Amino acid sequence: MTLLPHGLGQRLAAIVGDRYTRLRPGELAVYGQDGLPAEPSPPGAVVLPGSREEVIAVVKLLHEAGVPWVARGAGTGLSGGAVASSDSVIIGLTRLTRILDLSVGSRRAVVEPGVVNARLSAYTIPHGLVYAPDPSSQTACTLGGNVAENAGGPHCLKYGVTTNHILALEVVLPDGSVVQLGSPSGDAWGPDLVGLFVGSEGMFGIATRITLRLVPVPEAVRTYLADFGSVRAASESVSAIVATGVIPAALEMMDQACVRAVEASIYAAGYPIDAAAVLIVELDGSREGVAADSDVVAPLLAAHGARQLRVADDPAERARLWQGRKKAFGAMGRIAPDLAVQDAVVPRSVLPDVLDRITVVGERHDLVVSNVFHAGDGNLHPNISFDRRDLRRTAQVHAALSEIMEACVAQGGSITGEHGVGADKRDYMPLVFNAASLDAMCRVRRVWDPLERANPGKVLPVNACREWRAGGVE
Amino acid sequence: MSGSEQLARQMDQALASCVHCGFCLPACPTYLATSDEADSPRGRIVLMRGLSAGTLSPDDAAVAQHLDACLGCRGCEPVCPSGVEYSKGLEAARAMLARRRGIPFVARMVLAVFRRKWLWRPIMAMTRMLRATGIPAQLAGSGRLGFMMGMVAASRESRVKSRELRVERQGKNSRLSTLNSQLFTGCVMQGLFSHVHDATRRALEQAGYNVQEVRGQGCCGALHLHAGDDEGARALARENLAAFRGTEGPIVVNSAGCGAMLKEYAHLVEDAEDFSARVRDISELVQPDPSQLSTLNSQLVAAYDAPCHLQHAQRIHAQPLAMLKSVPGLTLLVPPGSSQCCGSAGIYSLVEPGLSREVLAAKIAELAALEPRPDVVLTGNPGCLMQIGAGLRAAGLDIEVRHPIEMLD
Amino acid sequence: MSEPVLARLRALLGDAGVAAGIDGTPRAMPESTEDVAEVMQLAHAEGWKVRVEGQATWLGPDAPAQLALSTRALNRVISVSPEDLVATAQAGAPLDVLRRHLGEAGMWLPIDPPGRPERTLGSVLATATAGPLRLGFGFIRDQVVGLTVVTGDGQVVSAGGRVVKNVAGYDLAKLEIGGFGGFGIITEVNLRLRAVPRADLTMVASGSRDDLSAAARDIHDAGIGCAALELVSPTLAAESEWMLAARVTGTDGAVEADARRIAAVAARDWTALSSEKSAALWALIARGPVGPPVTLRLGVLPEGVDEMLDAVTRDLDEGLISAGPAGGGLRWSGEIDAERLRTMRRMLAAREIPLTLERGPWELRRDVGHFGAYREGVGALVSKLREVFDPGQQLSVALEAETA
Repeated sequence: MTLLPHGLGQRLAAIVGDRYTRLRPGELAVYGQDGLPAEPSPPGAVVLPGSREEVIAVVKLLHEAGVPWVARGAGTGLSGGAVASSDSVIIGLTRLTRILDLSVGSRRAVVEPGVVNARLSAYTIPHGLVYAPDPSSQTACTLGGNVAENAGGPHCLKYGVTTNHILALEVVLPDGSVVQLGSPSGDAWGPDLVGLFVGSEGMFGIATRITLRLVPVPEAVRTYLADFGSVRAASESVSAIVATGVIPAALEMMDQACVRAVEASIYAAGYPIDAAAVLIVELDGSREGVAADSDVVAPLLAAHGARQLRVADDPAERARLWQGRKKAFGAMGRIAPDLAVQDAVVPRSVLPDVLDRITVVGERHDLVVSNVFHAGDGNLHPNISFDRRDLRRTAQVHAALSEIMEACVAQGGSITGEHGVGADKRDYMPLVFNAASLDAMCRVRRVWDPLERANPGKVLPVNACREWRAGGVE
Repeated sequence: MSGSEQLARQMDQALASCVHCGFCLPACPTYLATSDEADSPRGRIVLMRGLSAGTLSPDDAAVAQHLDACLGCRGCEPVCPSGVEYSKGLEAARAMLARRRGIPFVARMVLAVFRRKWLWRPIMAMTRMLRATGIPAQLAGSGRLGFMMGMVAASRESRVKSRELRVERQGKNSRLSTLNSQLFTGCVMQGLFSHVHDATRRALEQAGYNVQEVRGQGCCGALHLHAGDDEGARALARENLAAFRGTEGPIVVNSAGCGAMLKEYAHLVEDAEDFSARVRDISELVQPDPSQLSTLNSQLVAAYDAPCHLQHAQRIHAQPLAMLKSVPGLTLLVPPGSSQCCGSAGIYSLVEPGLSREVLAAKIAELAALEPRPDVVLTGNPGCLMQIGAGLRAAGLDIEVRHPIEMLD
Repeated sequence: MSEPVLARLRALLGDAGVAAGIDGTPRAMPESTEDVAEVMQLAHAEGWKVRVEGQATWLGPDAPAQLALSTRALNRVISVSPEDLVATAQAGAPLDVLRRHLGEAGMWLPIDPPGRPERTLGSVLATATAGPLRLGFGFIRDQVVGLTVVTGDGQVVSAGGRVVKNVAGYDLAKLEIGGFGGFGIITEVNLRLRAVPRADLTMVASGSRDDLSAAARDIHDAGIGCAALELVSPTLAAESEWMLAARVTGTDGAVEADARRIAAVAARDWTALSSEKSAALWALIARGPVGPPVTLRLGVLPEGVDEMLDAVTRDLDEGLISAGPAGGGLRWSGEIDAERLRTMRRMLAAREIPLTLERGPWELRRDVGHFGAYREGVGALVSKLREVFDPGQQLSVALEAETA
């Protein structure tokens, strides 16, 4: 039940209207999760402002009422970052869907935070431009959420992640005041606060206007699909490609468990199920450039033991090659009601070793772990299908996930490449940051949000701040 | 096992594979209209799971409100990576709600009428008489009555046909009619769109089919099933199964909603597999040879609107487009929002008029902005024809609505 | 304070780690992050002002301080992993040394900031100065995957990591890059690398400024992905006319194709340079700005470049200028006093163009700040962030907001 101050619902409704104020249990239940399989946690209220002015008024009201809040886009995140507890209000930004400006010459657009990632590109492609970061959820996820999470995607190997594309932000701070950060040129009247804000997981404020960079739609795209007899051979071919200086637009790999899950599903893409690894290499650029790069890449794949090499130049055929990769999570979703998607990064050179280690961990817990990874940058997504209602299995899954994470960190990796820390990985933070770094993060957060009301309980582990530790918890 | 336990189990099975990824959100017309996750497929799945687990009560007004607000368009199903059987879950949830609180009055009246031929036939006849007076066309507008009148007016045989499309038939009955087929006539199609049935029969004959009349058939029951009246739907399904017993060859449907329902009879009643396997949308059977079609005497620009129950439920999209592309002189536009629901959704436009009109507004705005401006909107479902037709009239747009098969006539 | 200070520093760093500076300021030369932390803990405890010095080729060692902390001994290239496309280097590593290490491993850091070849990595990071390659490869912020800083009170804080993709924790590195030393002392950096491109071609054309500017935009609008496309003033290029320099990198076939397309899109008299000549040209463009005392950076969008070139040549002088008509940005170097700089800033602010003082003598930096006046609400954030990373105000920097 709601733990909000009496009468808050009416005061919220006075700002955004009854229709956009949600207070009944059923309506709160639907906001209890994002894309992460976790116990549902319904918020105390949900409010859907329809303009930046309403966002400001809502944040001011909550500031005055002393109520914590969580900004939420489409709720497609995979770290539990957009979930609130019952003493908090969810501020849904899905009604702020305007594309405010497009400047073709300077390749920039200004959008509201609720604009769906793929919708922006659909809008700009007729002008020859595209927004490069393309998380798998791009048909549903919002750009505001992308900014909060510093979202990546298969094509960020060549084009970079969200932070490389955000130039300026209008931010509503947790006290309801508004600051303008950055400038359309990417330069700023001050230090790079835009860069600091991107990836802050909704804890610094709400971006109500986002100025972002677009890139030209490539003239030509060519996709290769190769299968290998071992993960090591596939990894070595990736290294060989990268060493030539060719930066593919995407380099995606699936291991055998994943290939088999896909091929057993309705998304069967014709991948050979005896392959130890399937690799997708996508090249883009000018027509001649792609041809020239192909002359370098294709022989390398063959030389490193690619057993079959399929190639596609037109969109329909490329979509067929991508089908299995793009639907991999869905295919695994069909196996069991819950799917744990881990998100870790390791130096690319240790990928084969880490995969061996993951197999061992899986076997010890009697679990099948299948792996999908962005092979170019070592970002690895081990997946485990399970049923949350089976408590014993669930405990095994969590134990396995945590061992996998430790193995990745031990190899010099990171605990998250693109999903964010959120609620899910908060407790892993001390694996990669020392006490002083965590303390600095706590204090940076308080610069933006002195009362810690914006998305409380995320990213920073309990006890991360010095005064807590000084309080004798340590 | 009690009925509600059975429904709960049906819900659980249909919805079990949802991993709440949220990919369905942008495919949902009501979510696009309200931006509220409670009006999204994923949100409704949470509500349904709550109903089946008992954590949410069917008495909870919020639960009923958001499940009622679902169009049942099934736009979420093709985009779901996990293959959630959303509509099956929804049917069970609505049946559970209906058992608890009954079906709302307006809906109950409408469903009762379509259960009984002796009731809907005279009502349809009266509607046709009203339509013939020309009054509905005069009164068509954006108010509640005006919109209803617009719907009636939109069902009229097209004036484009008589005025602009003089079609000279070249090789009539070019092939021998050796294959038997039966036309499923339905209720509203039979009552208000008999001209579409005539065009369908001619197209089938052209394609080499002998079209048999089947007596004793009636409403398909889709309206009932989607409103939670699963018993009413079963009764109608059994009537139709009986009526078609003894026939063979394709059962041809020109209403997307009925087609989807007939193809899923097997999930509803016993011994329906063979029947369902024979059901075909008209566009699945008719692939005209352009040389056999006479050229339209004036260039016609047509916008195709995909009925949800054709594209999402039956996964039929390429066939009607291929059929229309073969019509000489027809410029075919497929706007990006073509696959979005128009808000008609059976009796939805009657029971949820506000949201229905909001969903429609996006479609009308897109059609109004199309370049070149279409002369006609083509869609293969009676509800969509009337809904879009009324919406165009309410917006003061001089654009006709017609069934695609009429383009071949 | 000199004798006791020196004694305590020697106790920390050994005799070789401490020297007396030219202006009499004691100079500490730590070799590791831990050394820097110890020095700063001492400085914090004693309340000393500290200025950080690199090779003193970009910003002079002129900020007032009781202690100079030189990164001269903090200069190792710790690792280069071609397999992982990552290198780790200490902040005092001179760029030319770093480049040599990378080159030996077949790796390349796609940055070409202005300054002398021995300018330190830390200097480039702290000032976020970017050269013509910003068009094709982004800014130095886009090449850093993680870094370590020592705060004003001697805490070791790390941000990011050693992998090329990472969203663990807040992105504190962004605050450090371009923070002009106000948020701690960068001691160690993990850089994202690329393989040395197989082909690297520079071609130049000369002519009138407006023509070349339009040609650059034509090339850009045609979607040709240049690594650099820089418009250079006659003085900076040491030529009689303005010069447009286009650089394309990639596989041989791709580079040849791009060169052909450039010539086709912008039909001019292009000269393709040999690799020696192109290296010399880019080095010349980089070195130019350190001649005069002041360097300014204008954050101008591509469509505003022509107007700003007019304004700069009119209000300042047509001296050492380089600009990106395709991707934006303009750099001017020359002599300017605080008053004219303020006037310039006001004019630019009205056009939403930030003006950053990249280089200049301490008096000028102190008077006008690197950034000038902050926008509403931002100044408060900046000073509170300064408190987090330098609670005792040990670091001698020019980040105070100008309120005049």
